[in-house]
Amino acid sequence: METVDGVGAEVARIFAAKEQRRRDLARLPFPEKVRAVIQLQKMAATILRTRGKIVRPWEPARARR
Amino acid sequence: MKRTLEVLNALEKEGVFSRYAIGGAMGATFYTEPVLTFDLDVFVLLRQSSAGLISLSPIYEALRTRGYGEEKETVPVEGIPVQFLPAYNSLIEEAVAQAREIDYEGVPTRIARAEHLIAICLQTGRDKDRARVAMLREQTRLDLDSLADVLKRHQLEDKWKLWTE
Repeated sequence: METVDGVGAEVARIFAAKEQRRRDLARLPFPEKVRAVIQLQKMAATILRTRGKIVRPWEPARARR
Repeated sequence: MKRTLEVLNALEKEGVFSRYAIGGAMGATFYTEPVLTFDLDVFVLLRQSSAGLISLSPIYEALRTRGYGEEKETVPVEGIPVQFLPAYNSLIEEAVAQAREIDYEGVPTRIARAEHLIAICLQTGRDKDRARVAMLREQTRLDLDSLADVLKRHQLEDKWKLWTE
């Protein structure tokens, strides 16, 4: 991947940073991860809707009775 | 999710099932980066009926009386679709029996151990299980002695080698 202009080194640095980010996310408290999953669901739902697939993101707050 | 867990705890306390543990993608997420899922997979140890049958019906009935109706294969409980899975073999039974007790914002609950989640993935064998095993290996400090023991007792050592070597 190394090139004379140093692009390979930059890409390697980006990949390493991405790995570190994933490890940092893995260390989050579980409730924060659950909130992140709900955000992922909202993002995915928008994309899936354009493909005709209807999914429903979790709505734990709304469900309070 | 707190209120969902409170309902699960109430069902266990009332004896609708004898014990439960969170598994699947949300169980894995306890140990890894957050992963997309739309269900909360819950393994349950059920009581056998007098006829020796194991059925999820008592759970669905108990939830219906609380106002939570089934939708396809899940039951939305306080805004979260819960997928109940009976402990269908000795590995799942063990995963539920030995699950970690955790506190979720003041509510006690249980999550299957990472070593059991890996074993369940190996047993299930789908592409997404393979990805989950890779993620758990990368992002969790596994108890390798415990993992080796689980894999040996449930005849999953060959699959583990196939997926990891």
